Amino acid sequence: MNKNKPLAWAAPLVFVGVLFYWPLGRVLAQGLGGDWLATISNVRTAHVVWFTVWQALISSALSVLLALPVAQILHCRTFWGNRSARAIITLPFILPTIVVGIAFTPFYGLPTITRIVIAHVFMNVGIAVRIIGSVWQRIDTSVEEAAALDGASQIRVFVSVTLPQLKVAIASASALVFLYCASSFGVIMVLGDLHTHTLETEIYISATQFLDLPRTTGLSLIQTALTAGAFITAYKYSRGSLSLSENFDTQQQTPIQKRDRIPAFATILIFCTLIFWPLARIVAKAFTFNGTLSLSNFMNLTGYGARETLSITLMQATLNSLRNLTIATSLALAIGTYASYLLSRQRLNESSRLPVAFLDTIFQIPVGTSAVVLGFGYLITFSSGFMPLRSSWIATALVQALLAIPLVIRVVYPAFVAIDIHVHEAAAIDAARTEDVVRWIEYPLIRRSLLTAAAFAALVSLGEFGSTSFLAYGDQATLPLVLFQLISHPGPQNYGMAMATSFLLLITAFVIVYSVSANTQSRQTPTYRANSDPQT
Amino acid sequence: MHNRNRQVGIFLALAVAVGVAIFQSPTRQHAHSSHDVVLVTHDSFVMSKELVADFEKTSGLKLTLIKAGDAGSLTNRLVLTKDAPIADAVFGIDNTFAGLAMSHKLIDGDLTPTDFGDACFNYDKAWFKNHQLQAPTTIAELALPQYRGLTVVENPNTSSTGLAFLAASVDKFGEAGWHKYWQSLKDNGIKVVDGWETAYYTEFSGSSGHGNYPIVLSYASSPADEIDAQGHSLTASILDGCFRQTEYAGVLLKAQNPENARTLINFLVSKKFQETFPTAMYMYPIDTSVPLPDSWTANTQLAAHTFGDKLDINTNRKMWLTQWSAIFE
Repeated sequence: MNKNKPLAWAAPLVFVGVLFYWPLGRVLAQGLGGDWLATISNVRTAHVVWFTVWQALISSALSVLLALPVAQILHCRTFWGNRSARAIITLPFILPTIVVGIAFTPFYGLPTITRIVIAHVFMNVGIAVRIIGSVWQRIDTSVEEAAALDGASQIRVFVSVTLPQLKVAIASASALVFLYCASSFGVIMVLGDLHTHTLETEIYISATQFLDLPRTTGLSLIQTALTAGAFITAYKYSRGSLSLSENFDTQQQTPIQKRDRIPAFATILIFCTLIFWPLARIVAKAFTFNGTLSLSNFMNLTGYGARETLSITLMQATLNSLRNLTIATSLALAIGTYASYLLSRQRLNESSRLPVAFLDTIFQIPVGTSAVVLGFGYLITFSSGFMPLRSSWIATALVQALLAIPLVIRVVYPAFVAIDIHVHEAAAIDAARTEDVVRWIEYPLIRRSLLTAAAFAALVSLGEFGSTSFLAYGDQATLPLVLFQLISHPGPQNYGMAMATSFLLLITAFVIVYSVSANTQSRQTPTYRANSDPQT
Repeated sequence: MHNRNRQVGIFLALAVAVGVAIFQSPTRQHAHSSHDVVLVTHDSFVMSKELVADFEKTSGLKLTLIKAGDAGSLTNRLVLTKDAPIADAVFGIDNTFAGLAMSHKLIDGDLTPTDFGDACFNYDKAWFKNHQLQAPTTIAELALPQYRGLTVVENPNTSSTGLAFLAASVDKFGEAGWHKYWQSLKDNGIKVVDGWETAYYTEFSGSSGHGNYPIVLSYASSPADEIDAQGHSLTASILDGCFRQTEYAGVLLKAQNPENARTLINFLVSKKFQETFPTAMYMYPIDTSVPLPDSWTANTQLAAHTFGDKLDINTNRKMWLTQWSAIFE
């Protein structure tokens, strides 16, 4: 089947090639044509780059560190409320970044930079928990138990037995969180208070306020190099240990018990201080008007806000968002899963390690690329010519799909990789056809990941803000855009409407995440043993 | 071979799905018919439902309104989308951005002036009375120690009001003196926020937001909106260092329905619409024969002398903003 590779890769490569690399290339080419180096060679740019890097490093390190105890408790232990807890910790990740920013503005005692880092950890700890937890729960616990029986301490067991097996998950979680923090936009705009800039906000200001294309594109070059470099480093680090568990068994969740008290206590603490408090604040504000308990904020949602702030009502914006979500999720899931499948096949071919790294990188780069730059690229690439996409609503959905594809791959690819190579060999010996292997072996094993990926893709679409603000105008505005309009136009009515909208988004997101986890929960028992042999 | 067929099938299915999605969607965000007209405006544009209905009835056209940020974002956005304009007509490009619009050939024909106002500082009368402090009468006084930490302005990078005042300060203090002036404002604890609404409705103590700053960069007309039960204004303007901001409407080049856009612009300069500028947008109608509301004649006046509106803003904007940012960052 290896002979078919070039053709198999055509569909996903054409998709990202035409819809991502072409507009990005146009932006960069336009900038390189000018004296872009001169426009970015200054102290200000150096400050911006330095801040972007170190805040992302601290934010990702903290996110992953805090995610470890939470991942163990939520993914490897059973207790009442586990499912809800998993759904709740994922919520901040999918909230519109602008809302996260608002939620952390009242930490007045804390300096700007601390608030930005806390907001980033708040947003990203959930994704780190997901990635690490989904691997952790598949780890065979018998070695840990044996080590414990031999008298190894809990910490010793964790460090020498568990941690090495989590290395890949930790690396990929760190890389992803770093990329998100390095390309954070909404949070910086709100909390940065005009004095603290990352590359992303600097790019935005250069593009929209100054129309300074050379500087915009010069900054975009740095941003792309930074995130691509981060990804490749993380990938190289994780490549050596890509083989996950040799025996695949998802039934590793044990009831919570006394020896879990340290991670359990850490989890409770993280939930109460980092997660619950800001979320509860949004809920409280949504139901408060003029200092009293009230539903006024929700009643106001049928209108256009104080001083006619909005172009369309919230209902119309919701319909726009749902339409974009449907298209973006379907595309991202189809292309992301297909690419993951091809990547995992490619990986089995020992002689072609480099292409895997290369191809993987091609699909991952969109995640770290400034959404603002991508939106800008669409403006200059698809405004006219033979693909006048920009003036159509589909442009928004396509960008959202592109931004979700890397996430789908990060969730689905490890699941493909985790499938034991011996299964494939056994199937090959049994002369199983490729589609039978996919249908009977792989699909049941990756179904949980597919649902997770679909949920994440949907939520990326729902919350996407940077490129949408470039591409969706007037009656095409999406929920985050309407939310931003409300928040940036002050007054108790607009603020209350923004909080009510955030509350509704929060509930929607919770329902999506919860139903996905409920679905996988009931089908948790792997069907692989029963169906592994397609001949039966 | 079976495998190859499968992959070709997947490829074709994806290609067809994307193709259908792209080409089935309307080529424009607003499926234009010859009876449509789309107006893109800045965020502060207000047109009552009655006026919309009136326009639609008399013209037989269907009006769609799009808001696209402040005057600067609006103009930049139109520059970025000029190959396939997002609307037929634009309202709200002001004289700080008109040069940019014309140099990029955004407009079919000329810009039509629709309204004007003086950007200047307002103060909260009650605050100064309670603190037994004389309110400032010139913009130079804002740097005096007794007014330390009392003033909020808009960032000229993100607000056309802020840019207007920056131009006024350049004019008043000269190329040699304006940096020193802004440095002294910064040293005197001036607060900078991103937009007019945040400055006026959140930070200013004299508005409904009851903020902490009794002096705000706003408009000479703003006091007409802060009237107490006796009909007296609670705020007043500092009529020094004002910038006369003129707003324009225009037909966008390559608009789908330029004729309809012209009909709409004629409506914007008609007496019926001009009358609503003071109450709906706190701007003076460009048609001086239109009577002003009583609250305006009693509480507002225009500056006798304005600054900055004669400068070449389009040429200098980037340099001014870079230098201003260097002071504040």
